[in-house]
Amino acid sequence: MTNAAMQGTYLGQGSGLRAWLLSTDHKRVAWLYLISLTAFFFLGGAMAVLMRIELATPAGDLVSDDVYNRLFSLHGIIMVWFFLVPSIPATMGNFLLPLMIGARDLAFPRLNLASWYVFIFGSLFALFAVVAGGVDTGWTFYTPLSTLYANGFVSTAAFGVFVVGFSTIMTGINFIVTVHTLRAPGLTWFRLPIFVWTLYATSLVMVLATPVLAASLILIVLERVFGIGIFNPDLGGDPLLFQHLFWFYSHPAVYIMILPGMGVVSEVLPCFSRRPLFGYKAVAMSSMAIAVFGFLVWGHHMFVSGQSAYAGVVFSFLSFCVAIPSAIKVFNWSLTLRKGEISFETPMLYALFFLGLFTFGGLAGLFLAALAVDVHVHDTYFVIAHFHYIMVGGMVTAYMAGLHFWWSKLTGRMYSETAGRIAATVTFVGFNLTFFPQYMLGFNGMPRRYHTYPPEFQFWNVLSSAGAVVLAIGYLMPLFYLGWSLFRGARAPDNPWNATGLEWQTSSPPPPHNFETMPVVTRPAYAYDMKGLEHERFSPHREEAAR
Amino acid sequence: MSELRKLTFGYLGLLALLALTVGSSFVALGGFNVALNLAIAAAKAILIAMLFMHLTGTLPRLAVAAAGLWLVILFGLTLIGR
Amino acid sequence: MSGTESVAFDTPQRERRADTFAMWVFIGSEAMLFGAIFLVFLVAHIDFGPAFAAASKRLSLPLGTLNTAVLITSSFTMALAHMLALHRRWRPTIWALVATAALGVCFLIVKGIEYGKEISEGLAPLLGLPFRYAGPDPVHAEFFFGLYFTMTSLHALHLIGGIVVIAGMIALWRPSGPANRLRRVVAVGLYWHFVDIIWVFMFPVLYLINR
Ligand code: HEM
Ligand SMILES: [Cu+2]
Repeated sequence: MTNAAMQGTYLGQGSGLRAWLLSTDHKRVAWLYLISLTAFFFLGGAMAVLMRIELATPAGDLVSDDVYNRLFSLHGIIMVWFFLVPSIPATMGNFLLPLMIGARDLAFPRLNLASWYVFIFGSLFALFAVVAGGVDTGWTFYTPLSTLYANGFVSTAAFGVFVVGFSTIMTGINFIVTVHTLRAPGLTWFRLPIFVWTLYATSLVMVLATPVLAASLILIVLERVFGIGIFNPDLGGDPLLFQHLFWFYSHPAVYIMILPGMGVVSEVLPCFSRRPLFGYKAVAMSSMAIAVFGFLVWGHHMFVSGQSAYAGVVFSFLSFCVAIPSAIKVFNWSLTLRKGEISFETPMLYALFFLGLFTFGGLAGLFLAALAVDVHVHDTYFVIAHFHYIMVGGMVTAYMAGLHFWWSKLTGRMYSETAGRIAATVTFVGFNLTFFPQYMLGFNGMPRRYHTYPPEFQFWNVLSSAGAVVLAIGYLMPLFYLGWSLFRGARAPDNPWNATGLEWQTSSPPPPHNFETMPVVTRPAYAYDMKGLEHERFSPHREEAAR
Repeated sequence: MSELRKLTFGYLGLLALLALTVGSSFVALGGFNVALNLAIAAAKAILIAMLFMHLTGTLPRLAVAAAGLWLVILFGLTLIGR
Repeated sequence: MSGTESVAFDTPQRERRADTFAMWVFIGSEAMLFGAIFLVFLVAHIDFGPAFAAASKRLSLPLGTLNTAVLITSSFTMALAHMLALHRRWRPTIWALVATAALGVCFLIVKGIEYGKEISEGLAPLLGLPFRYAGPDPVHAEFFFGLYFTMTSLHALHLIGGIVVIAGMIALWRPSGPANRLRRVVAVGLYWHFVDIIWVFMFPVLYLINR
């Protein structure tokens, strides 16, 4: 990767292990995250493949029930906390936030590097739990199962998640302060790219929700290690209270796991339809609305677990309301495409797939938010399909869109466009083949978290397992062609997509402190309709500063 | 140094509030004991925040307001769930 | 860069503003952590008020009051450190910091004495220690003491963290320039006061409210 051309860019600043592991440059920290998250993604993915193979037949022939419980628990823990929560923020967010707002780095570069070490430290605990014998509580750690009955390494895993939570909070604080204090001259709030808005909203959720997860996990560890029975019903403890604390975090956390994806798509769609984002302010504000109102609905995970009927009605109503800002975004994205000069490069393909899959998963959320329907489909594959459509079909697809969109900026190289399009399409087909059948299964009553099932469910299960293989191929392909492009890819121009946004105004890859001359902003974001875009946009002339 | 005077008064005020809250717990006021104790704790917190922590400026206040609002959500919606 | 620690800032003033804001965001986050724990206590208190009232009488009110006074005093000395640092009077600043940390240690010692007393009276339901309690409703009294140990030890851990950071700051005092000294005093100060505020709520909740 290091050759003469990289001199003077952040990649040319030393290539030894030390230069990477100790650099506080946000662009290098982003790479540390990218590499570790990729490892976790494929580890969690391997567990999913094992589960799908087991479920190809009704009998439990590949793994025992006990092993199966451990597989889905670790799959969930790894995918949620070690991949999806940090996914876009810690990689592309880390890399792009300073670039997009015209800053030299994040506000606290050392905190940023520290957050990665904390992340690794915490995730090692979880990996230890995997090797030592696993966890069988599911990713939700429900009490009293996790405190009184589970025999796995619950404390180790919970402690690992707890520690990783700190790294999330560190990232959140860093992003919030950066957006508030380091915007370039002229870059007002309503000129910020939507990606920055969504990162800001995400950080808000990270900072305010994660500590509550931390509290609930501490209490579990105290109960298991020190014998302090906070959630123990024998002592008068309230196991349901754990669910309240857990979902106070985890419902907002699902928005941690989608908002950044919405941000990526808001960058990609205007660029490849050559149109300004439709309804910019509505999209920006709905991101904030999601962050706030996402905190009001957690009880929809507890409809059948014994909370009061009154609470059920309130939470059901609020859950319907929280879909409104998401719907606003979907409409605005769709209207952005209208009359656009659409072209179907790889990032755009992924972004369009996001649009469809997210909508499909979100609509299923509305079914689930209806009390009467939820009694029927709670804890079935319908719920699994719902959240995989959003988290995998939505967030992971957006992650891929962003990775391809900004790959040239990260590396200075272009990947093979043909390979990219093929992989995107394979992913889309494989995804639907895997998860659409799960809607059918759930609606017909197949419960989640079992390794055997009655034979009448086999048809849809076989389809789903076959889809998982296709999906795995779709996710493995980029590993190869992106990896190949690192060494052999064509040199990338500074702005291959002809996009607006400050990150495209600096070289690919950027210099160590991002900009040769610090930029001044005079235009709104997404000025794709302005004439002569290529020549005069955002010219970085500090002197003519807008003041 | 009027700054020093301010801090000292704050400190004495905090000690006085401490005496008040401990004292009040020996007087039976029914349900009002709880309210009084919490009100005094809140007064102490405000004193510390304003005098010792210099809670000024928009951004720090924004952070405090956000945490306050979110605590209300946490407590409120959990308690209606019971 | 001109006296800033992060390359992102061009002046120490802007950096200090960002620092202060970051500390407040962090405090907001910590408030949610303690808020969740207080919520657990509140719910239990709603369910088992009388049992909790009886159990809370077994805590030592004199020691608890003493500790509150100690912590308030430490906050005062910390505020002094901040004021002195603003005036760049570094030597007294150090002394104020030392006093703060020492008062923190005092608090921990008193807390340790309390813990010792409770353990020897059989009021500590941890690590399988025997729980001996003669009052009414011993089951829920045990719950109270479980919460008491959880809450106070979480608070104590935060205090220990603060003491360690102050110690580290003093150890690194010489090599750091004036701008960095001031920034650190301000940041640690905010944290310290916050930990004090938590105690200000914990004290009546655990020791007084149930009387
Ligand atoms: C349109 C707004 C949404 C609504 C109304 C909604 C509604 C629901 C409801 C009612 C449930 C509980 C179903 C049950 O357990 O019976 C649920 C589960 C779930 N949702 Fe959503 N949802 C929405 C958006 C999202 C988003 C954006 C994500 C992720 C990025 C997500 C992820 C999840 C997850 C992970 C679960 C299952 C958790 C578990 O039990 O393991 N949801 N959703
Ligand atoms: Cu939810």
